[in-house]
Parts: sequence; structure tokens; C-alpha cells
Amino acid sequence: MITSIAWKNVWRNKTRSLTVIAAVTVGVFAGVFAMAAINSSIVQRIDAAVNEELAHIQVNHKEFRSSSDIQNVIQDPSTVISVLEKTPGVTDITGRVIVAGIASTSAGSAGVEITGIDIQKELEMFTLSQRLITGTGSYFGADTKLNSAFIGEKLAKELYIIRYILTPEAFQSLESKGVATSVIEKLKPLEGERFTTEKKLTAAYTGLLSPREIKMYGMNIKEAAWSYREGSRIILTFLDVNGHQTGGAFRISGIFRTNNDLFESMSLFVPEDELRRLTGLEEGHYHRVIARLEDDDLTNSVTPVVREALPGLEVMSWKEIQTDLAMITDYINQIYAIFMVIILAALAFGIVNTMLMSVLERTRELGMLSAIGMNRRRIFVMIMLESIFLSTVGGFAGMAVSAVVIAITGHTGINLSKYSEGMEAFGYSAHLFPTIGADFFIILTVLIVITGILSAIYPARKALQLNPVEALRGE
Amino acid sequence: MKVVEINDVFRTYHDTEVEVKAVNGVTLSFEKGDFAVIVGPSGSGKTTLLNLIGGLDQPTGGEIIVAGHRLSELRPSELIDFRMEHVGFVFQSYNLIPVLTAEENVGFILSLQKWPKEKRKARTQEMLSAVGLSDRHKSRPSQLSGGQQQRVAVARALAARPEFILADEPTANLDSKSAETLLDIMVKLNKDEKMTFIFSTHDIRVMKRARRVITLEDGRVVSDEKVNHR
Repeated sequence: MITSIAWKNVWRNKTRSLTVIAAVTVGVFAGVFAMAAINSSIVQRIDAAVNEELAHIQVNHKEFRSSSDIQNVIQDPSTVISVLEKTPGVTDITGRVIVAGIASTSAGSAGVEITGIDIQKELEMFTLSQRLITGTGSYFGADTKLNSAFIGEKLAKELYIIRYILTPEAFQSLESKGVATSVIEKLKPLEGERFTTEKKLTAAYTGLLSPREIKMYGMNIKEAAWSYREGSRIILTFLDVNGHQTGGAFRISGIFRTNNDLFESMSLFVPEDELRRLTGLEEGHYHRVIARLEDDDLTNSVTPVVREALPGLEVMSWKEIQTDLAMITDYINQIYAIFMVIILAALAFGIVNTMLMSVLERTRELGMLSAIGMNRRRIFVMIMLESIFLSTVGGFAGMAVSAVVIAITGHTGINLSKYSEGMEAFGYSAHLFPTIGADFFIILTVLIVITGILSAIYPARKALQLNPVEALRGE
Repeated sequence: MKVVEINDVFRTYHDTEVEVKAVNGVTLSFEKGDFAVIVGPSGSGKTTLLNLIGGLDQPTGGEIIVAGHRLSELRPSELIDFRMEHVGFVFQSYNLIPVLTAEENVGFILSLQKWPKEKRKARTQEMLSAVGLSDRHKSRPSQLSGGQQQRVAVARALAARPEFILADEPTANLDSKSAETLLDIMVKLNKDEKMTFIFSTHDIRVMKRARRVITLEDGRVVSDEKVNHR
């Protein structure tokens, strides 16, 4: 009966209750959705870090990471591989040959980390091949006389392998994307002109278009003008095992695009055999052995086991390499909880206000209930339940709206390309696919109920302070 | 059998520096089946005396014994339970719970007393029938007239079979017809169920039905007369 009365009391003043419920709904939705968006960014970043860049565990020569000296190879890689194979949780292992060098074209050059890989093994272990930009070739699939290199888009731009040309096809592409005809006409003077950088292209069309047109169509123009000549060549220069300068010509087999600018501009992958041949590095010697685990959750437990088994080497998990990301991952739930507590604390003031009004305008009724035998505990519980109902109805509505919006945007994605330069500089995707775990909704439900309880304490205490005689005399 | 014993009871209020003796040395008792009214001018202490008898207020002197309980010995939480079990209240302004239907209002105290659902339902129907509102059991207070609301309040007060009913100006807000109907019902319940009624009132219609009229002035009993209705 108390529960029933409390529920009915919530709906006595529909406008007031709905206003509070709407506020809670919007607050919870805003909080959950913001966190889902942030979470997606982190999840995508971790996914990229583990599946495209680092793997779960890396074993290096103790000095290699600090000096990058080609001589710092793992002396007994077979032992390393054997230890990793015997470690429970490890699923895949491969070795890498890594040298620091310079990549250059006739137009530009850049410092790079050249990684010699077992192409087939890496294809099984990593998803970087899926990051190939359509139209730029393949993942080491090109059958050429020259050796192949798989490079990042950022590096390709620095080497001027990627250019920007507004070809007739580019104009057709703009038309098909719904760019206004007037804008296309304004761009016509630039047809056929080559721009070596995105910046130069932007400078060129900025003089032709209005700020509004640039804002609306700038991204489309850059995408349409993006141009790559398949099979471009680069020269790689580095030191061999004897400290002599060496190098070779490599044909670009494909260009990948990730969300990590630094990785894209620094990393260049070539077949391991060719790098061995050019550097004179012995067969079986690796600078780095990397391993993937069954599950990312095993990282913290497996890494120390491997480290103990390989005392002379540097064994690091991806979390130790990317400490900032690891910290976010480890504390993400606490961060979310603090964020939600702040939002709910703000909402609590609204609930307290509403409950207080509700109690004060029911002075006589509460006095009557006390007079006819409703004890203090029951009155307290009734007020408490009213507050919990207010907060949970709003909370569940907010969570339901969040779940629907997250489901939709998780499928379609949210494109933040306009701000992507800033985000991708830190390795975070500009295309978010909001996602949040079911456990977060459980934590949130508990927080909402706690908010309801805490919000009720003051109004309920006010109700309990009422003297039935005075309350009944009150009106 | 005495239901209520009031022995030399005082209730004094201290309003700033003035001492107000709302009840000033009252000694009374009520028998089971009484149909008594307490009358007197405004400020004579009628409502205060009713509050003291009902355990809503505590005397500053003297002793009140209700159904064997010395009210001064009960803790506040025990007083609430005492009221729930032994006293039925009917207020001037009906004071029904607005969000509940008539039958839910009547069954409310029964649910506080944890009556089984079926038993509660049967008793609720019985009481609504006794006050002539069986057909309005699903109506909320806002859908009932003042007289009907007060009849629901009487049904609620009687539902848990208290020792007695305290009714503070129950007809004050009712028109003549509604007041007569309500009084008919209360007289009948008094007769049929031997329910004790103690009223405070100014209403001559209530006084006419009473079998005992107690007059208060300045917190003192100035007369206590039995009335025979033929």
C-alpha cells in the first residue's frame, strides 16, 4: 500500500513531476551518450593499438628501445619464441626486424622506422591490412620487380606521393556527393592543377569560395582531389650491421590510413627477407618478438609471467608502452562513475526541491497520516519511495533513450572529421561509433537509486518533524 | 465498562510570556457505547481535549487511561501504534488521502495493521455499505461530495474496529441534508456495533442526537448531562 501511495503521489502534480523526470532523462542521456562517445574513442584507440600497432606483448633487446641500434638484436630468439609458445594465453607470435632510416622521393624525405615483417604471419595477427586506402594498391600483393613497402598516408603526404588534383573525375565525384553546381563552377579554374599538399589546395580554393561553402564542402573537395599514382617509388636509406650506409628502392604496394598520425608518419613495413638482405642481419635474429593473447584482459597477468621467464630481455605489455592509454583503460569505469555522480548530484538538487515542495504542500495530509497511525518509518519510506520513483523513472527513460541513440549512432557512426586533425594527432579516431558496456548501465541504475535516496533525506526529515496536531491545525 | 478515563488533566501552553490553560483540571470518563458531545465556545478546549484523548497531544498534568493504556507512559512511537489500534479519527475537513479511491481509503488502516487481503476487502465493503457508499467504492475523494467524503472518513475510522471514534466538528463543512445523513449513520453504528463516539462540535444537530452533552468553558467542565431521546 505504501508503495502504491508513493507511486500515486508522484503523479499528483503531473507537470512538476514530468519536469523533474524530463530533467533527469536529459541529464542521464547527456551523460551516458557523452561517455559512450568517449568510450568508443578509447575502445577504437585500444583496438588500433593492439591490432594494428603493438600487439599485446613485446620482447626486445634491453637496449633496443632506447638506442634503436641495429646491433641490439635478441640473441636467442628461439628461446623467446619457445617461452611464449608455452605461456598459457598466448595465441600468436612473430618476430620483427626494425631499423631506423630515411625514406625519400624526388620531392621530399622523412625519418622513418622501417619494420621488416613476415607478411603472412602479420596478416594473420594484425588488421592493418584492412586499413588499406582503396585505389592505392594492396597489402604486399603487387607483383613487381622492386621490393614492396606498405606505408601510412601521412608519410605518403610528407613524401609528396599523394597529391591533390581536381580532375574531371573529381568534379563528377563532387557532383555525385551533392556539392552545389555553383561551387563546382567556381572550382573549374583549378581543374587539372596539381597541388603537392592539402594546405596548398585549401589555399587555392579559399580564394574562390565563400567561408560557408568552404565549411560545407571543404572536406568533399579534399577527398575528391586526393590523388595517388599507383606504384610510386621511394628510396630507403639506413645503416647495415657493420655501420655502413645502405638502402634500396621500394615500390609502394599500398597506403594505409589509421587514426594515429604519428604511427602513420613514422611506420613503414617491408618484407623481412629483403631488409635482412640489405642490412646483413643474420637469419633468425630479431629486434623484437611480439605476441598476441587470447584476450586483452590477460595482458596484466601474462606479461609478468613472460618477464620472469626472460630475465635478460625487456618484456613490455602494450599498457606499459602506451601508459596514457592504459591508465585511461584501467580507470575508465571510475572516471565514468565520477562523471555520472557529478551529473546526478546536479539533478539531485532538482529532486530535493520538488520533494520539498511536495512535502510542504501536504503538511495536513501527513499530519492526518500520523494521526491515524502511520508511523515515522512508514512516512519516511513513503517519501523515500516517491523520490526514488522520480529519479528512476527519469533515469530509466534517460537510459532507454541513450540505448536507442547509442544503438543507432553505434551503427551509423558520428563523423567528427572537421576536428579530426586534433584527435588523430593523438591517435584517436574522428569517426566515433558510440558504445558502452551493459555493466555501466547496472552501475548507473545503482547511482540513480542512491541519488533518489539521498535526495529524499532532507524532505523526509522535514516530513518527520511535523507535529500531527499542528499539521492538522495548519489549514 | 469504561473506555476512557480522564483524571484531573491539564494542558498548558506557553505562548511567549503568557500561560494558556487550554484544559484546566478536567476529570471525565466515557463508557463503551457512549454517544457524547463536547460543546463550548471557541477556545474552550474542546479540540485540545479530543487531541489528548486520542494521544495526539500529551497533558501537562493529570492522567488519561484509554483501553487500559496510560497514555503518559507510552513513547511517541507507541502512541502512534496506540492510535492505529484503538482510536478512530473523523476530522472536520474529511482528510482523506486524495490519490486513493474510497475503498482504498477505508482499507488504508487495515493495510497498516496488515490485515489479509481478502479479510480487508470484505471489511472495506462492509463499512462502505454501512455508510451507504457501496456504489462509489472506486471514486476518488475529488469525485465525491463533502458529505460522501465525510461518510468515507467515518467508514475509515470504524474499519479497524477501534475502541472509540473521536470526531472533531464532523458536520461543520456539510449542508443540512448531508449532516443529517451522516448523523443517522453514526447513530446507527453506535446502536448496532456499540461503537463509542466522542464529538466536539458547535452543531446543534449533533447535540440533538447526543445522549450525553459535556460543556467546557475556559478548559473546565461546567456541565455533564445525560440526554434521553424518546
